[in-house]
Amino acid sequence: MVRILLDLVERVGAVAAGASVTVPLGDADPGIVADWCARTGNELLGVSGGVATVRRGRRPEPPEHLLPGTRVWLYTNFDCNLACDYCCVRSSPRTPRRALGADRVARLAREAAGAGAGELLLTGGEPFLLPDIADLAASCTAVLPTTLLTNAMLLRGRRLEALRRMDRDRLALQVSLDSATPDQHDRHRGAGSWQRAVTGIRTALAEGFRVRVAATLPAGHDGALAPFHAFLDELGIAREDQLVRTLARRGVAEAGVELTVDSLIPEITVTADGVYWHPVAADHDDQLVTTELFPLADAIARVRQRFAEYRARADEAAQWFPCA
Amino acid sequence: MTRPLLVGAVAYTPNVVPIWEGMRDYFADGPAEMDFVLFSNYGRQVEALLDGAIDIAWNTNLAWVRTVQRTGGACRALAMRDTDTVFRTVFVARAGSALGGLEKLRGKRLALGSKDSAQAAILPVYYLRRAGLGEDDVELVRINSDVGKHGDTGRSELDALRAVLEDRADAAAIGGNTWDAIGAGELMPGGFEAVWTSPPYSHCNFTALPALSDERARPWVEQLLAMDWDNPGHRRILELEGLRRWVPPQLDGYASLFEAVREQGIPARW
Ligand code: SF4
Repeated sequence: MVRILLDLVERVGAVAAGASVTVPLGDADPGIVADWCARTGNELLGVSGGVATVRRGRRPEPPEHLLPGTRVWLYTNFDCNLACDYCCVRSSPRTPRRALGADRVARLAREAAGAGAGELLLTGGEPFLLPDIADLAASCTAVLPTTLLTNAMLLRGRRLEALRRMDRDRLALQVSLDSATPDQHDRHRGAGSWQRAVTGIRTALAEGFRVRVAATLPAGHDGALAPFHAFLDELGIAREDQLVRTLARRGVAEAGVELTVDSLIPEITVTADGVYWHPVAADHDDQLVTTELFPLADAIARVRQRFAEYRARADEAAQWFPCA
Repeated sequence: MTRPLLVGAVAYTPNVVPIWEGMRDYFADGPAEMDFVLFSNYGRQVEALLDGAIDIAWNTNLAWVRTVQRTGGACRALAMRDTDTVFRTVFVARAGSALGGLEKLRGKRLALGSKDSAQAAILPVYYLRRAGLGEDDVELVRINSDVGKHGDTGRSELDALRAVLEDRADAAAIGGNTWDAIGAGELMPGGFEAVWTSPPYSHCNFTALPALSDERARPWVEQLLAMDWDNPGHRRILELEGLRRWVPPQLDGYASLFEAVREQGIPARW
C-alpha cells in the first residue's frame, strides 16, 4: 500500500515541471494519490484502469489578459458584402441581418466596462453595412478602447463619412487581408476583393486610423509569410499590427484546426442570438452560453466558472486561438 | 563589459534547466549577469571550480567539505537556501516497529542511501557512533543507486525505504526532504513512522574561490538575496529549487559533516 508513495515521489520527481507520469496503483486507494498530490503541490489528472496520471506541479493560471471577460466581442449584424469560403459565421450578402442595434450595443458596452472588460471588438459580417455604424462605434469608444473588424471594401461615400466620425484615439480598424498579391486572397474571398481591401487600408491610414491587418491562412502555411510581412511594412502597418491566424474548421470552412469549447480559452462574444464562448463559434449552438444578453456580468461569470472547471479537468493545455 | 559570472550546478533532475534558465533571466538586467553550466556529478563540478572553469559552484554539503579540504580552507560560501540551514536526517521504520530512538537499532538492519549522500549515509553513521553504536552493533544495508549526485535525486533513499517494506532492512536513514515528500507518515497511518530525527545541519551552498573578487561576488549575492517569494516570477524558480528565500551561509551547520568525513576516512577526491 505505502509503496505507492515511494513510486509517486520517484516518478514525479524524475520529470520536468508540467510533464505528466503514470503510476500503477497496485492495491493502493486512489484517495491516497489525491491526498499526496494536494500535499506536495502536484495535480492528479485522473485514475483509470488501475493507473493514476499525475502532472508535476500545477497548471499555471492563464495570463491576466486572457482571463474570460477582459475582451468582449459584439457581432453587430452577420450580413456581409462578401461570401468568403471560410467565413467562420457563414456570412454572405444573402445572410439575413441579425443586428444587435444601437440600444443594445450601448448597454452591452457599458455593462462590459462595468464588469471589468478592457477592450471591445465589433465585428459583422461587415459592420459598415449598418447605416448607424458610427453611432455604435461611438457608444463603444465612449467607454472602452475598441477594435472594428472590417473587410475595408466599402470605405467610400457615406460609409467613409461614417468612418470619419469615429474616434481615432480610441478605435482601431482590423482588416482581413490574406496575401501580398491578389491571387490567394481573391481565391477565397472573390475576384477584385484584394485590390479593394488594399485601397480601403490606404484610405483608413490616410484618415489617421490605426489599422491592424489579419491574415487567415491554412494550417502549415509557414513559407508564405515573409513576402506578406514585407508588403504590409510597405503599406505602413506596424509589425505588432500584422496578425496571422490559422483557419478554423467552423462555419462554411471545410478544413481547419478543430476547436471545441474545452480547447479554447473563451472570449465573451455577444450576438443578437445570445452570448457565446468564443468569436470563431458565434454561429454554433455547441458554444452558446446563454440566450440572455443581460445582465452581461452573469454570462461572464458563467463562462469563467465553466472555464475554471474545464481547466481543472482538461489534460492538455488550452490552446489560444487568436482572433485579433 | 565584464563577462557574466559562470555558475555550476549538477543536473540531477530535468527541472534543473528551467531553474537555472530562470536564474539567468532574473540576473540578466542587473549589475551581476550570470550564466550557468550543468555537470553530471559533483566531482566534475568541484574540479571545474578548482580549475577556474566556473566562478561559483552550487554545492551539496559534501562537495563543500571536499572543496574546503582541497583548498586548505581558502574557499568561501556565498549564500544558501533557507531550507539548507535546517536540513535533518530522519530514521524511518514501519509503523508500530517499536524502534523509537537510536539505541533500539542495536542488532537491527539499517538501510542507507548512496555512499556519497551526507543525509542518507555519512551522517547517519556519524549519529550511530555518537549513540555508541559501531559497525558491529548495527548491520548497514548500503544502497548506492545514485552515486555522484550526493543523494540529490532521492532515488537511493526511496530504495532504502523499499528495502524496509521488503523486510531487507528494519529501518532506513533518509533526508527530511524525502520524508516530507512521502507525506511524513501522515498520508498513510500504518505505513512508515519516524523513529529518530537528527539535529539540524547545513546542506547546499554557493561556493567560490578567492579568485572571485568580493567586488564581483557582492552585487550577485545582493541580487540573489533580493529574490522575493511574493513575486510570481521569482516564486516559480524558488518553488522548483525548494526554498522560500536565499540567506547568508551558516557555516556552523557543517561541523558534524567535517567530523564525520574525518572519522569515516572519506577521501577528499572522487
Ligand atoms: S470572413 Fe468576414 S468578410 Fe468574409 S464573409 Fe465572413 S464576415 Fe464577410
